[in-house]
Amino acid sequence: MRAMPAIVQLQGVHKDYPLGNLVVRALRGVDLTFDKGEFTTVAGPSGSGKTTLLNLVGCVDTATRGTVTVDGASTSALKESKLTELRLRKLGFIFQSFNLIGVLNLFQNVEFPLLLQGGLTKGERESRVRDIVDKVGLTEQMKQRPNELSGGQRQRVAIARALVTRPSIVLADEPTANLDSGTGNAIIDLMKHLNETEHTTFIFSTHDSRVMSRASRIVQLVDGKVVDDGHGHRTGAAAVAPLAEA
Amino acid sequence: MGVFIRIALRNLMQARLRSFFLTVALSLVTMLLVILLGLSQGLTETIVKNATTLASGHLNVAGFFKAKASDANPIVTHRAEVRKAVEESITGVDFIIDRARGWARVVSDVSSMNAGLTGVDAKEESRLFEILQLAKQSEYKEGGSDEVKGDARRLANKNTALIFAAQAKRLEVDVGDKLTVAVETMKGARNTAEFEIVGIARDIGIMSNWSVFTDKASLLELYRLDADVTGAIQIYLDDVDRAPKAMGELRLALEDKGYTVMEHDPRPFWAKFEGVSGEDWTGQRLDLTTWSDEVSFLLWIITAVDSISFVLVGILVVIIAVGIMNSMWMSVRERTPEVGTLRAIGMSRRRVLLMFMLEALILGLVATSLGGAAGAFIARSIDAAHVHVSVDAVRLILMSDTLHLSVGVQQVLTAVIAFTLISGLSALWPAYRASRLQPVTAIQHIG
Ligand SMILES: Nc1ncnc2c1ncn2[C@@H]1O[C@H](COP(=O)(O)OP(=O)(O)O)[C@@H](O)[C@H]1O
Ligand SMILES: [Mg+2]
Repeated sequence: MRAMPAIVQLQGVHKDYPLGNLVVRALRGVDLTFDKGEFTTVAGPSGSGKTTLLNLVGCVDTATRGTVTVDGASTSALKESKLTELRLRKLGFIFQSFNLIGVLNLFQNVEFPLLLQGGLTKGERESRVRDIVDKVGLTEQMKQRPNELSGGQRQRVAIARALVTRPSIVLADEPTANLDSGTGNAIIDLMKHLNETEHTTFIFSTHDSRVMSRASRIVQLVDGKVVDDGHGHRTGAAAVAPLAEA
Repeated sequence: MGVFIRIALRNLMQARLRSFFLTVALSLVTMLLVILLGLSQGLTETIVKNATTLASGHLNVAGFFKAKASDANPIVTHRAEVRKAVEESITGVDFIIDRARGWARVVSDVSSMNAGLTGVDAKEESRLFEILQLAKQSEYKEGGSDEVKGDARRLANKNTALIFAAQAKRLEVDVGDKLTVAVETMKGARNTAEFEIVGIARDIGIMSNWSVFTDKASLLELYRLDADVTGAIQIYLDDVDRAPKAMGELRLALEDKGYTVMEHDPRPFWAKFEGVSGEDWTGQRLDLTTWSDEVSFLLWIITAVDSISFVLVGILVVIIAVGIMNSMWMSVRERTPEVGTLRAIGMSRRRVLLMFMLEALILGLVATSLGGAAGAFIARSIDAAHVHVSVDAVRLILMSDTLHLSVGVQQVLTAVIAFTLISGLSALWPAYRASRLQPVTAIQHIG
C-alpha cells in the first residue's frame, strides 16, 4: 500500500511514567509507521499521549517497552551522545511555546543548529539561513529579537530553525496551541507548503479538529492507544477511515 | 565559539544586577590580591637589597677555622689564595668583595650595645657607598640640624666606624665622636680599640639595628688576626636568581681544588657557631651560602605576610565563589527550558556544560582584568608616593621606612589567571547539573 520507505517505525511501544507510587501508562502498545515525505498529525484529547509519542520519535525520551526506530536506528540501543547526534542531524523540532533563544536575534536563532552541526563556512550558513527565512517570509525581521516578534512570527522562526539543517523529520508538538486560529492555520499551511516543496516529513500533534483536518494523514490517539489511522481528505476528520488495531 | 561567547555575554547582561555585583566583588578581591602580592614582592626585594647590602653577597664563601675541636672561629684563612680560587671557579659574576666579621660590645660615653661588626675594604665598597644614605643630624639627634655630616668613604682610614641612625640615637653619639669597641679574640682574650664615627646612615630595616661597619684592617687588628684573613668572600652575580645553581658549581670547583667545604646549611653564619664548636675537627673549612640563607631568619616575615594575605584573600574568594555558584544555579534554573530546547535541537551535554562555564569564565576574566589593572595602578601609586611609615614595629617588619610595593606583569597575571579559573570552577557543579538535564523534563518545565 505504501510506496515510500518508512522513516519512523514504532512497534508495540509502551511508555510508563512513575508518579509517586502509581504508574501512569501514557502509551499502551502503539504500532505506527511514518513514511518519508508524509504530513501527519497526531490527534487526540489532552492527556491522550501525543507529547509522549512525539518525544519518543524525537529521541528526547525512550520507550518503556517496544521499539522505536528512527532513520534505521533503534533509539533504545543508542547512547545519549548518539541520540543527541541523531536529533542534531536528522530531526527538527517545533515547540508549542516556540522556545527561541531570547538573547539571540532571528538570524542567530536560525543559524544556531548549523553552528552546532559545524562543517559549513560562514557564507554557506548565511545563504542557508537567508533561504529558509525567506521561505517563512521573515526576511524583513532578520535582525529582530524574539520578544520583538508576534507569536505567529516566532513560530515561523522556529519552523525556519527546524528546517535549516534539512532534517529528515520535523516534529511539532501542538505548534498552533499558543496562536489564534487564523495564525495557526497559516502556520500549518506553511508547514504543508514546505512539506510539498522540500519533501520533509512532518509529524505534528494537535487537539484542534480544524487544524487536524489540514493534514493528509491523521493518527487518532485515545488513552495511549491508536484508535484511528487514516489518510484523510482536506474535507475534515470525519472522512478518516477507521483502522483496525490489534 | 563566537555564538557561545555571545550567548554567555547576553545572559550576563540579562542578569545585569547579579553580574554587576559579582564583577565588582571579584574585581575588588583581585585588586586586593595584586596589592598584597605587590607588598610581598616589595618586601622580598627590600630584604634582598638589605641583606646584600649589609650582610651578604648573592653568594658567600665563608667558613670556620678551628685550632682545637671546641673552637668555632668564623674566618677564612689564606684569603688571597681562596679568593683567587673563587674567582677562577665561577662565571656570571658582577663583582666580588670580601669582608671581615666580628661581634662586639660597642660603648659610648652614655650607653652601650651589642653589634655585629663588618670590616670593609673601602676600595671595594663602591656599591655599599652608593646604597647607604647618610642620615640628617635631625634623624638621630633631638633638635639636630638638617645637615648631613660625615662621609662613608672615610672608612678607608684606620679605626673608623659607620653606624646607623637608630644606634646613634641609642648611644647618643654624632659623627666625629669616638666609640670604644670591645671584643673577645680567638684565643679568648679581651681586646678593645677606639673607633671614630665617620658616618651615620639611615636605618635599613631590622638588620641595621645591630650592624656596624668598620675599616677592615683595624677590625682584623682588634682580633689580632693577620691581614690575610677574612670573614666572607661575597660574590655578586649578574643574575641573583642564579645563586643556588652557582653555589652548587662553586662547591664542586672548590672541592676539586682541594678545599674542604661544609655541608650546605641554609642558616646565617652566626647560627652555626654552636654546631661547629661541637664538631670534632680542626683546621679550615669553607661554608657556602646564598643571600637567602643569610637572611633566612627574616623570611618568616614574608611567609607571615603571604599567609595573612592568603587567608584573607582565600576567605573572600570562597565567598565570591559561593556567590558565583549561586548565581549560576539561578541561571540554570531560569534557563531550564532553554537548556531543554538546546538539548532537543542537538546541543551536546559537553557544550551545555561549556556554555555555562564560559559565562563564569567571561565574568571572571572581565572582573579580574579590571581588578588586576586597578590593583597594579594603586600599588604603583603607593610605591611612587614613597609613603613614610611612622610606626616602628611596622617599619621593622617592612624593613624600610617607606612602603615599597613591587607589582610586575607576573603578579597581575597570577591574580587574573588564578581567579578566572576559580570563577570558572565555581560554575562547574551548576553547569554539570545543567548538562545532565533531560531534554524532555527541560521542555516540560515550560508548563
Ligand atoms: N513526566 C511525566 N510524569 C508523569 N506522568 C506524565 C508525564 N508526562 C506525561 N504524563 C502523563 O502521561 C499521559 C500522557 O501525557 P501527554 O503525552 O503529555 O499527553 P498529551 O500531550 O496528549 O496531552 C497523561 O496522563 C500525563 O498526565
Ligand atoms: Mg501535550
